[in-house]
Amino acid sequence: MMGAYFQNIKNGFTTVFEGMSITFATMFVRKETVQYPEVDITSNKTIAEKYKGSLMGMPDNYRGVLILENGLCTACQICQRTCPIDCIAIENAKCDKTKPTDKDGKPVLNRFTQKEAIKTRALTRFDINIAKCMFCGLCEAACPTGAIHHTKQFEMNRECQEDLVLRFVSDGEKEIAVKRAEEIEAEAEAKKAAKAEKEKEAKEKEEQEKGAEE
Amino acid sequence: MDATLISLGLNPMPAKIISMVIICLIVLIAFVTIGGVLTVVERRISGFMQARLGPNRVGPQGSLQWLADGIKLILKEDLIPDGADRTLFKIAPYFCLIGVFGTMVVFPWGSGVMVADLNVGLFYFISITALVVFGVLMAGWSSNNKWSLLGGMRAAAQIVSYEIPVGMGLLVPILFSGTLSMGGIMAVQGWAPWEWIVFQSPFTVMSFCIFFIGSLAEANRTPFDLPEAESELVSGYCTEYTGFRYAVFFLSEWANLFVLGGLTTAVFLGGGNLPDFLADYTFLSVLVYMAKVSVIIFVVIWLRWTLPRFRIDQLMNLSWKYLLPGAFVAFLGQAIYMLITQHIPAVQTTVAVLMFLVFVFILIRFFIRVRVNMREQQIPVNSPASDVPLT
Amino acid sequence: MTSALKTEYLTINMGPQHPSTHGVIRFILKTDGEIIHECDPDVGYLHRGIEKLAESITWQGFVPYTDRVDYVCAMNSNLAYCMAVEKLMGMDSEIPKRAEYIRVIVSEMNRISSHAVAIGAADMDMGAFTPFIHFLREREHINDLFEMICGARLTYNYICIGGVNADVSPTFLSKTAEFLDHFEPIVEQINRLISYNQIFIKRFADVAIVPPKMAIDYNLVGPNLRGSGVKFDIRKDKPYSIYPEVDFNVPIGTGRAGTLGDCYDRYMVRVEEINESIKIIRQCLKQIPDGETKAIVKSSIKPPKGHIYFRTETPRGDTGYFIVSDGKTSPARLKIRTGSFTGMSIIPEIARGVFIADLVAIIGSLDVVAPELDR
Repeated sequence: MMGAYFQNIKNGFTTVFEGMSITFATMFVRKETVQYPEVDITSNKTIAEKYKGSLMGMPDNYRGVLILENGLCTACQICQRTCPIDCIAIENAKCDKTKPTDKDGKPVLNRFTQKEAIKTRALTRFDINIAKCMFCGLCEAACPTGAIHHTKQFEMNRECQEDLVLRFVSDGEKEIAVKRAEEIEAEAEAKKAAKAEKEKEAKEKEEQEKGAEE
Repeated sequence: MDATLISLGLNPMPAKIISMVIICLIVLIAFVTIGGVLTVVERRISGFMQARLGPNRVGPQGSLQWLADGIKLILKEDLIPDGADRTLFKIAPYFCLIGVFGTMVVFPWGSGVMVADLNVGLFYFISITALVVFGVLMAGWSSNNKWSLLGGMRAAAQIVSYEIPVGMGLLVPILFSGTLSMGGIMAVQGWAPWEWIVFQSPFTVMSFCIFFIGSLAEANRTPFDLPEAESELVSGYCTEYTGFRYAVFFLSEWANLFVLGGLTTAVFLGGGNLPDFLADYTFLSVLVYMAKVSVIIFVVIWLRWTLPRFRIDQLMNLSWKYLLPGAFVAFLGQAIYMLITQHIPAVQTTVAVLMFLVFVFILIRFFIRVRVNMREQQIPVNSPASDVPLT
Repeated sequence: MTSALKTEYLTINMGPQHPSTHGVIRFILKTDGEIIHECDPDVGYLHRGIEKLAESITWQGFVPYTDRVDYVCAMNSNLAYCMAVEKLMGMDSEIPKRAEYIRVIVSEMNRISSHAVAIGAADMDMGAFTPFIHFLREREHINDLFEMICGARLTYNYICIGGVNADVSPTFLSKTAEFLDHFEPIVEQINRLISYNQIFIKRFADVAIVPPKMAIDYNLVGPNLRGSGVKFDIRKDKPYSIYPEVDFNVPIGTGRAGTLGDCYDRYMVRVEEINESIKIIRQCLKQIPDGETKAIVKSSIKPPKGHIYFRTETPRGDTGYFIVSDGKTSPARLKIRTGSFTGMSIIPEIARGVFIADLVAIIGSLDVVAPELDR
């Protein structure tokens, strides 16, 4: 009983002694604080310029705000279907059959089939609601041409929620695309009509020939 | 100062009053500044102990943070909760303030630098600081909040219990010096560590420990910060306080820290005593005194960021089962020790030097441990050596 | 003689606005002064209906949601769901070996960071703030490593149905090894700072004792169960993934500082599990083979009709996913069974007759995580 009493006192002093030595030691080791706006954290290289601690900068595959490279997009809507929270909204219209090319002018391959990607529809609307987005990366993984991908951008303070909806297709582009789609439609219509005419003519001709034979 | 005012053509009575008011203001401003600066110091030190930086934006190295905080608190809405006892709620913070600021009267700023060297100085000191408990209890009761009430009750129980070990701990220096006056107690000590009261005998060391632990509890510092235990009682007695009244509570708490350091230094650590050949430089004495106070304050802050908190029953256990018997033993032991050695000063000096050497030995042990722990924390992580180049 | 003085209990509302329940849990306490007479936990403040959400999204689309089920150990949540779906599809043998190793490495790393937070939060509830920050400092390094492989720091969505989303680089492996060498002494150091501290031991020892029988009756799982001295760990007793191939111990409570099954036992089991996890990761880093990291899975899977219950050992214990499939593109019904919920349900029983300060210790030692509790 008495032994436990003095043991308590002794333990009290020795453990406090050890604890104090640890907190005191911490005062003299490297601080881990990153003074963020002053230290550029976007990569390991930039963070090392001003920050002497041992934390890393942002990696290249960082999942920040989504961005769309309009030139690569084939308006296939796979990302829209993959997104678990429906933050992507796509509308499209018919367009001329083209092959999207990357910056160097090489044709873009479909990542899954390894065939050249073909664009048959043009975007009239591509909105990403960043307020809803949970940065899961599923759309990036599903995109066949790599048009939609994450950036290192993460500062998204805006004045209102509407500003958080990123619009990648401007009204002008939309108008052009819609106009072109209408033209294509009209052309197709005209073609169809011409074809129908031709067929009709051919039929009539046939019938005439038949009649002549008879 | 009143002499100057009288020479300006004022009557003696108003002159006295005006000079008193001016002195009070000076003291108040000095304490407010000290309390404020201590909040920043505490936050910086806690930051360093947790591998972070702490506030460093306002002013050089964050030194003006306390001004920004103060302005913010004063600009906040002053809220009195519905159903609160308005009178008590309003005056409670000032009881705390008076309890702490009242000690200014006998506060020794160095050898011979004090407002009044009362012959019952220590007694006055203990009595006036007990006023704090009234403020805390009033705040807890009047807030009409159950958490506040629990906090106030805890504070009352705690401070009442710890008054006794603190008082008993102080009896040993009083026994040694034979006086209650602050100046007298400082005068019997010398400049050298082995002439301080704390190293006089094993019993004085014991009483110092008991006094220090007890006054931590009285100042509501961790591990005894139960009245405002954040994770248990929200904010304890000051849960419902906002704005200026909260600032007053805050201020008195940190000023109390300074008072704690001052009392400990004066009574146990030789105050602002200087070697004989430097005795004329009062300024130096104040400096030495302040340095010692800073060390004590640092230790208190350091303890706060190292230790967890007691539980209320363990707190009482510590007071009544450990500190109080210890204080009695120290008191009796010191009395007997002084009786035996009163005519052989050589033994007294030897014991004092020995105690000091033990302290130095513990200090060395401590720094060895610090070095070991530093090495452990410095084992590299994310070092450039671990980068595997892409092939 | 009966007391003439009539007294009544003090009813206190602890939470949701309380520093130690921070907006997500609520207790209605009936106390006699500081001693709790009755404690009534109120859950549901963080309920998001994740189980119902699963019925309207695709199988793969639900993986990011499992991150949110328990964001303190998102990797383990991912793993539990993905393994359940793989089992349902009968493709659990097709998972590449390298993917299995990566899965175990990341989930054990996440176990470390989760336990670090649990221990740190328990320390913070006891009034010691420094150990918590020290643990968070180390957790940052784990987050950095995870960010390196999947680009996110908290909700990883890294483990996917069929393997893992991306291969790990050699740099990741070497940095992980370096981190473990750095972290192992730090754990012991923080133990010396807080776990072996006399005040801390006194606060945790002999508080809220859960005997083995009671732990089983209340269906406690994971470290809470092992803290009561019951040696049951899914990784050992119903092994999955590559756990049979690695060597590790299952730490159990032994009454280190007092009685078997007190708060201190539960706390120390977590500390020792960190060391066991370090051991597992070291072995995995040595044994990890080369090869593919993902089996071929269609972009829109339709598991066959049927149901499955699959359990894994997450930091908060036995997490089970019960999934019913009707052969369509989304689950017909999904139920998550979590450890925090049973941990919470034992609180009224063990919190009787303790101090208010002890209730905070109990919550800390049971490691109740609100999002997992409410889903």
